[in-house]
Parts: sequence; C-alpha cells; structure tokens
Amino acid sequence: MVSNRKRFMAGLATISALCIALAGCGGESSGGDAASDGPIEITYMHRLPDSDGMVLVNDIVARWNEEHPDIHVTATKFDGNAADMKQKLERDVKSGNAPDLAQMGYSEIPEVYVKDMLMDVTEYASQYEDDFASGPYSLMQVDGKTFGLPQDTGPLVYFYNKAEFDSLGISVPQTKDELIAAAKTAAAQGKYIMSYQADEVGNMFSGLAGASGGWYSVEDGEWVVDTETAGSAAVADVYQQLLDAGAATTNPRWDPSFDASLQDGSLIGTIAAAWEAPLFIDSSGGTGSGDWQVAQIGDWFENDGKTGPDGGSGVVVLKGCEHPAEAMEFLDWFNTQVADLVSQGLVVAASTEPATTPDSWAEFFGGQDVMAEFATANENMGDFTYMPGYSAVDAAMKETAAKAVDGSATVADIFSVAQTTSVDALKNLNLPVKE
Amino acid sequence: MTATTHSAKAAKAGAGRRAAKPGRSNATKRANRYGWAFMAPFAILFVFVFILPIIWAIYSSFFRQVATGGGAYGGGELVNQFVGVENFIYVITSQDFWAGVGRVVVYTVIQVPIMIIIALVLAMIIDSLVVKHIGGFRLGYFLPYAIPGMVASIIWVYLYNGQISPLVKGLAALGVNVDFFNDNIILGSMANITTWTFTGYNMIIFLAALQAIPHDLYEAARIDGANGWQIATKIKLPNVRSAALLAMLLSIVGTIQLFNEPQIMQTSDPGISKSYTPMMMAMNTSQGTITPSGDGPANAIAIVMALIAGILAMIYAFAERKVNQE
Repeated sequence: MVSNRKRFMAGLATISALCIALAGCGGESSGGDAASDGPIEITYMHRLPDSDGMVLVNDIVARWNEEHPDIHVTATKFDGNAADMKQKLERDVKSGNAPDLAQMGYSEIPEVYVKDMLMDVTEYASQYEDDFASGPYSLMQVDGKTFGLPQDTGPLVYFYNKAEFDSLGISVPQTKDELIAAAKTAAAQGKYIMSYQADEVGNMFSGLAGASGGWYSVEDGEWVVDTETAGSAAVADVYQQLLDAGAATTNPRWDPSFDASLQDGSLIGTIAAAWEAPLFIDSSGGTGSGDWQVAQIGDWFENDGKTGPDGGSGVVVLKGCEHPAEAMEFLDWFNTQVADLVSQGLVVAASTEPATTPDSWAEFFGGQDVMAEFATANENMGDFTYMPGYSAVDAAMKETAAKAVDGSATVADIFSVAQTTSVDALKNLNLPVKE
Repeated sequence: MTATTHSAKAAKAGAGRRAAKPGRSNATKRANRYGWAFMAPFAILFVFVFILPIIWAIYSSFFRQVATGGGAYGGGELVNQFVGVENFIYVITSQDFWAGVGRVVVYTVIQVPIMIIIALVLAMIIDSLVVKHIGGFRLGYFLPYAIPGMVASIIWVYLYNGQISPLVKGLAALGVNVDFFNDNIILGSMANITTWTFTGYNMIIFLAALQAIPHDLYEAARIDGANGWQIATKIKLPNVRSAALLAMLLSIVGTIQLFNEPQIMQTSDPGISKSYTPMMMAMNTSQGTITPSGDGPANAIAIVMALIAGILAMIYAFAERKVNQE
C-alpha cells in the first residue's frame, strides 16, 4: 500500500510540475505582470534582415531602452518567412502570449484583422499620423480603425543597365509600344529588358494593375471584387506579347536562375519593388555594377504616370497588449529612426526626415540618388486595398502564371483565376460578396 | 482537483484488484514497476507530442473558422464554428485533393520498388564478400540519409536547374537535353531525390538481415553443390523477406507523405501547386494559401490521408502474406 501511495504522490508531483511548466509559458507573455515599481515591458517581433553592416534592431532598441528607463522593449527576430510568422502569431494571440508589437505585411493586415489578432489603437495612432507618408499610413487602417504604424514601402520601379541600353541604342521606354519594340530589339541581341517572374505575380501584377485602380472595395458592408480591370488587361497584354515574342526572361525571382541571368549579363532591365535594391545588388554578384540605374516605370500598363505597391510592411499592435499607449510611443520612435532602418534595406514610410542613399547602393546604381527616385515613386503610388484571405489569391495566381510560361495558360488567366479565388476565399470566410 | 481525486480512487481500486489476485510475487510487481519507470520518459513524451495532438486534430477537424460579426470584415472576429463533417465532405469531394493522392500513389508505385531493388542489390553485393572494406561502402551508401531531406532537395534543385547545373550542361553536351522541371518529368525528378536519400537507409536494413543469416546454411548449401547465385536466390532472398516487408511498409508510409521535394522545388517551379501532394495541401491550408483555410480543413485533409495511407499499407501487408503463403 505504501508503494501505491508513493506512486500517487509521484503522479501528483508530476502533474504539479507540468502545471508549473505550463504556467511558466503563460507568464512569459508581454508586460502583463509589470508591477508599478518596475518598468513597463514591451515585446516586439520582427523579421528585418539584421545582416552584416546593418544597424542591428537590438542596437536600435538598446538606444531606446537607455533613453527610456520606464519603458523596456525586448525585440525578437523571427527566423522564417512571413507566412510562418503570421501562423505563429495567430497561435500566440489565441493562447495569450503574443508579443505586443509585430511586423506585418500590408497585404496581410486585413486578413489578420479578420482573424481577431489586432488591437484597435486608433486613439493613440492619430497623434503620430504626421510622421508618416499618408499612403502607407492608410494601409495600416482597416474597417475604419488603425492598428499600428507603417514601417517601409515597396513602390514598383524599373531597374535597368544604362550602359547596355546605350550600346543597344535604346532608352527607357515611355509607352507600351516603345516597351515592346525595345524588348524585341534587345531580345534579338540575346538581351532582355523585362522579366516575367511567376513567383512574384501575386504582389507585382496586383501592384502594376493597381497603379490604375484597385481590385477590392467595400460597398454597403459587402465586398466588391474586380480583378479583371482595365489595368489588369493592360498588364496581361504587355506580358503576353513579351512572352510570345520571347522578349522577357521567365526565371522565377527567388530561384538561382534569376541571379544567373543577371550575372551572365543577359537580363539588363526589370521591374522591381524598391525594397529589392540591396537584394538585387546581391543577386547580380556585382555584374554591371555602376552601370545600373533606377527609373520610374513608364506608361506601359495604362497607369498614367502612376505606380503600384509591391510588399512593404508595418508594425501592428497585437491583441492582448497591456500597454498600447507605451507600445505606440516606442513604435513611432522606432519607425522614425530613418538612417538605421535604411541600413536594414528599407525604403522607410516615415516622412520626418529625408532618407539618404547608402553608399553601396549609390556605387551599384552609378552614383544615382536612388532614395530620391524611390521617394518619387512613393508619391506616385496608387491606393490598393487588399482583401482578407489574399494569400490564397496570391498562391493561385503564381500557379497559373507558371503555366503561362509553357503556354498551357495565358497571362490573362492569372487575373480570372484571381477573381474566382478571391470570391471563394471571401465566401469561405463567411464574408459578404456583392456579385 | 476532481480529476486527481478521481484518479486516486481509480488507483486504489486497481491496487485492490491486484492485491486480491493471488500468486503474484512482489518481485514481479517490482519488475513491472521498473518496466514502467523505464517506459516513462518515452510514454510521457509520446502522449504529449503524439497522442494528445492527434486527439486535438480529430476534434478540431469538425470546426471551421468563419466570420459571424457581419460587415465586410465580419466585425474583426472569427468564430470557431462546429460544422459537423463538412470539412471531410470538402476533402473527399475536392478534385485537388484526389489529384494529389493520385500523384503520390503513382510516385509510390514507381519509386518504392526501384529503391528497394537497388537497396537489396547493394546489400547483397556488400554481403557477398565480393568487396573488401564493407565499412567504407556501408558508410558511403548511407551518407545521403544523414543529409536532412530539405537540404538534399535544395542541392538537387541546383543540380536540376537548367541554367546553372553541371548535370544539365553535361547531358546537353552529350546531346541529351533534359528539362527536369517539365510537367511530365518533374515527378521522376522528385523520385530521384528520394531514391538518392533513402536507398542507403534501406540497404542498411537489408544488410542487417543478411548478416543475421547463420553461415552454416551457406556451408551446407556449398556441400550440396550450390553455387553463389543459388545461395543468393535460394537462401539469402527468402531470409530477408521480413526485412523487405518492413522496408516496403516504411517506404510506402514515407512516400505517401511526400512533402520536402515538391515544397522545395516550388521555388524553382511555381507551377507546382500548393496542393501538389496531400501533405502540402494540408500545410498550405493551415497557412491560408488555399481556401477554405484554417486548422479544421487542414486537419481533415491530414486525417483522410492517414486513413488512406493506413489502408494502402494494410492492403500491401495482406497481399504480401497471401503471396508468402502460396
């Protein structure tokens, strides 16, 4: 009998140990237990690159902590992609141990809002509104509420190798016809001035089409979806002609073959998001360094001088944050550390001070003031609202885009697939769609 | 607390029953206790990381996250709604799901036998004493298995890449132009990665079985005038049959869950859909890149797939037993 009681006690001890362990997990959460005597604890999760030569996020945060003894911030880097981080945060919010602040792509914000992950911080945000460009600031707003502050933007621009262009006798095209003619001229010499990136269509094509008008809007509380706009048709037409003429590369952007096409000098021009600049320099391996330039995209997609957004993100306040006022105070400070954020490769959303072009970029882009060019693009950016569940639309677009390469689908199919997937995704979330 | 008092009662009741049973020595009881103590580290982890998640997965497969708050954003709140078997109906009627099942079945039917045969042949050669320095060969063949599946896939993606691969360029120099990402070839490209990784592992299973065969059998056979070939086919093969069954079963279960290869190759070929294999479909459903999304539908996919894998493995085991009996 003694042994049985021992066994029972041992079991009890195990259970209580587990309880303590589980409670420990819960206790880690944000600033919940910040007593009045200690500083307020704020946690911040990001996925900024933090590579060599950059001002590390932890160093920026350390400076804040030094200047603000009453608000202590802990930053954590998430090593993984955006989708993984979003999923992790969803679990964390549900279990009540999410960080207070987290990086979130603009296209993901409506989705995570619908998933009940965001805290409405409208009352704290308005005082910081003037510190940021109005376009990105509005992307932090969904359903009439503000959920955080914008960090960086991704206006679409055109990267091209000016020396190669000159030797081919072409210049940056201004119209659709000029673009296609120039692409054909270049292709005849084994050079390409446009790239068709199947893995980027969800961001890039929506951005290019969005330059002339959005896809998603809300009318009387119902979603109005039109992904087959005039802008979409123009994008489809241009790329279809380029593919048919063999006048664009078809390597996916994040595949080594894309880098190879830059390194062997065959790809001499491409539409890219502004944030790609440092990545593009890496991809090129130095080929054509000093010859590249940044230009605004021409009027190729009935965009009338406008450009569209491709990526970019802000920092949101997550549900469960105990000190939203202090979290926002830190966030405003952090997102306006322009020079530090530029070192992380960001085209900042802050408008408090002009960003200077990092030396390594200026060197690659022939001494050009690239940041000024990006700022111009930022000002020309059309508004584009994403819908909740856009990740599924993005995935469906990519798959169709790859088929257009081998001819088993057309570029226009990408936009019709976007339409059906958008409507399906909204319906599956039980959100009203106007048809 | 109610749970603990309840279990205490149960423990006492159990103890009473055991105590009433005559003829069980204290030594046996102690041995049992030690047995459970040794089992505990495994059993506790097994329950927490395996049994409980499975129960949770089954439970949540009957729910779906939907917005009920009204308005374009559903009031910014998703509700976990009980939907009965709706998720399972979605899976079973989904064309994408069955296309994925079709791919892994074709993949399994082609890849597993090839890999098993190569593994068996390699094991036989090493065991036949034709080669000296068994250790080196064993390690060499086994080494690919030591490379994590994701890494192996990344390596092969480079080797398949039409623009930078020495393999593709070498073949092209010989007049063979292969596009490893062609829709008709890509499944074979994936099968090649799996075969490369797991052949050595299966070979080790066979080699262990071969080396467990008593050598008297060979001697007796030689005295009876059997040659090397006859020894291999009449003695060695029948004796590794159970090892082959094990290797086949493990391989079938493994290939049905095909995930690493297509997931990695997607970077180079965005045409590989998010639902290319059922396991990819489950993960992408949970991440929201396939609609309907969320844990409910994702778990339903995983459960249906587990059932299919179980049925296939059972069919194989029964067929194998039938063949053995005849």
